[in-house]
Amino acid sequence: MELTDADLVTRVLVDEDQHAFAELVRRHQSAVRGLLRQLTRTDVALADDLAQETFLRAYKHIRSFRGEARFSTWLYRIAYNCFREEARRRKEFVGIDEERQQQEPDPRVRDPALRHDLMYALSLLPLHERSAILLCCQNGLSHDEAARVLEIPIGTVKTNVLRGREKLKRALAAWGPN
Amino acid sequence: MEQTSQEDWLDRRLREATPYIDDDGFSKRVLTQLPAPRRQRRSARVIILMGLTMLGSIIAYIISDGGRVVIHELMRLATLPMWWLLLAALASGVLVAVLGFAAALSKSRELQS
Repeated sequence: MELTDADLVTRVLVDEDQHAFAELVRRHQSAVRGLLRQLTRTDVALADDLAQETFLRAYKHIRSFRGEARFSTWLYRIAYNCFREEARRRKEFVGIDEERQQQEPDPRVRDPALRHDLMYALSLLPLHERSAILLCCQNGLSHDEAARVLEIPIGTVKTNVLRGREKLKRALAAWGPN
Repeated sequence: MEQTSQEDWLDRRLREATPYIDDDGFSKRVLTQLPAPRRQRRSARVIILMGLTMLGSIIAYIISDGGRVVIHELMRLATLPMWWLLLAALASGVLVAVLGFAAALSKSRELQS
């Protein structure tokens, strides 16, 4: 029987079991790195550094995980804080790296041209709308969970998702369903 | 209706836009940076506790004149009526259960916080 995230966290807490933590990293690395890649506008190296920092902080502060939210939601919150600190430090983020996107097409994506347009439209959204869209629409968090991650009221999350969606729909009108 | 289908379409495209990212040694890199487990500190604590317990036992043995007091008390216990012994056993059982329950409660609170 596969252990749940909560079981693994308990093992880390009680026995400082690093194998259990390794399993948590393996389970969530893709989602956390994916989110950070989108937040940093596809700066893969920076996103991976931030993801590493996220998991190190999670390990150090695992006692503060109260189990009220999903472990992934708690991780997203740490990841978002890491990103926010980095953004504050850098003052601004570089724009989308179009050259890299064109050089490294992902074979698993069905329509690379659509993906390119979508990523570009996403990168043009203001950070608060982009974060809300990424958490709610891409990572499947509820508005309440996203509000906890972003530390903003739930109403603001809903507004940001709505506005972000509208802008993306307008930008991708040519691709949309007819 | 149309708006919902557009939202579904957009959400689907967004999810597809970030396929699963292979680990490629990422987990290993994280693990090498984790602080070392505090097992050594914990084992030192166990050794200190065991040492103090042994020291206390030796002092108690010497003070009680080689355990003479314990033998005397055991002989006194043997002369007690049966129902007294049963009552003492029951009280000990209840005491151990209560202590165990309290320890479990405190541990679960510690884990929750």
